[in-house]
Amino acid sequence: MVRRSGVLLKKVAAGISSRLAEILVCPLTKQPLRMCDKTNSLISDSIGVSYPIVDGIPRLVPSDGIILHSDQDLNSSDPPQTNSS
Amino acid sequence: MATTLQFALPSIAGRRRRPDSRSIIRPVRCAADRQALFNRIAPVYDNLNDLFSLGRHRVWKRMTVSWSGVKEGDTVLDVCCGSGDLAFLLSEKVGISGKVIALDFSREQLQIAASRQSERSKACYKNIEWIEGDAVNLPFSKSSFDAATIGYGLRNIVDRRKAMEEMYKVLKPGSKVSILDFNKSTSSLNSSIQDWMIDYIVVPIASGYGLANEYHYLKNSIKEYLTGNELEMLAGEVGFSEAKFYEIGAGFMGNLVATR
Repeated sequence: MVRRSGVLLKKVAAGISSRLAEILVCPLTKQPLRMCDKTNSLISDSIGVSYPIVDGIPRLVPSDGIILHSDQDLNSSDPPQTNSS
Repeated sequence: MATTLQFALPSIAGRRRRPDSRSIIRPVRCAADRQALFNRIAPVYDNLNDLFSLGRHRVWKRMTVSWSGVKEGDTVLDVCCGSGDLAFLLSEKVGISGKVIALDFSREQLQIAASRQSERSKACYKNIEWIEGDAVNLPFSKSSFDAATIGYGLRNIVDRRKAMEEMYKVLKPGSKVSILDFNKSTSSLNSSIQDWMIDYIVVPIASGYGLANEYHYLKNSIKEYLTGNELEMLAGEVGFSEAKFYEIGAGFMGNLVATR
């Protein structure tokens, strides 16, 4: 619960409201997304894809997803969410 | 039947060549083509909507919003939001305690929507969040929304069944989706008049903006759309408990209301 709140706060900081952060999922897997501050993007850990946020607008069309190849890409300071909706 | 109706239509004075239905207009079949189309028309979309409907589209959209059952404090979704007309109307209904999530796959339309939002002063408009997304792969968890709308969007979606399934999943049980679009009329008189208006009013005006092909697409998209009965049936097949289609705008427009 505390970890989930921390992740929500990061999404709020990126300009995504907490209500939106609770609702948003990966368009392909429907699993929760993880905010990555370094790249200002939403990460779908289950398929290793990153969706960018540009000018405050998340780009969540499946073809907007960027495949994360390396362990370096996958690592971030944010712990993965443990809850699924 | 068609021959009889030809005589019933106003005759053209002969100055303008009748549009050749056999001319090669590249079909706008796939989603990528449609996305590109909506990106191209984005700069003039709002003005042309006002012009072609003589402002009536604003009334129809208000009806769509009413039918959605939206109320203050709700979290609501507008799919195929375009430049944001329905999103702004929804935000007035949900107020500052509510939230409007507005989704479209056209980046250019979303940029215009976001600009309109920043130009407007009402506090409730700050509650609209724009998402670039695909109506057939909605990035929202199940049962998230108290109401949903789609305005002039479902007709443009290639896989309409999938879009309806996605809408169904993201709505809370008992909530409604209100879907506004052109009416694919079962009345051949209505559809003939609709065709004539597109061929002789919409396309010529659009060609002045260099968008003749884009608005020619409109006519084909209506022909390929579903009738009111077919929309009701589709909603039922996808799982909606109730579905009712209302003809509005002298039968040229229609609004499907489906309950989850």
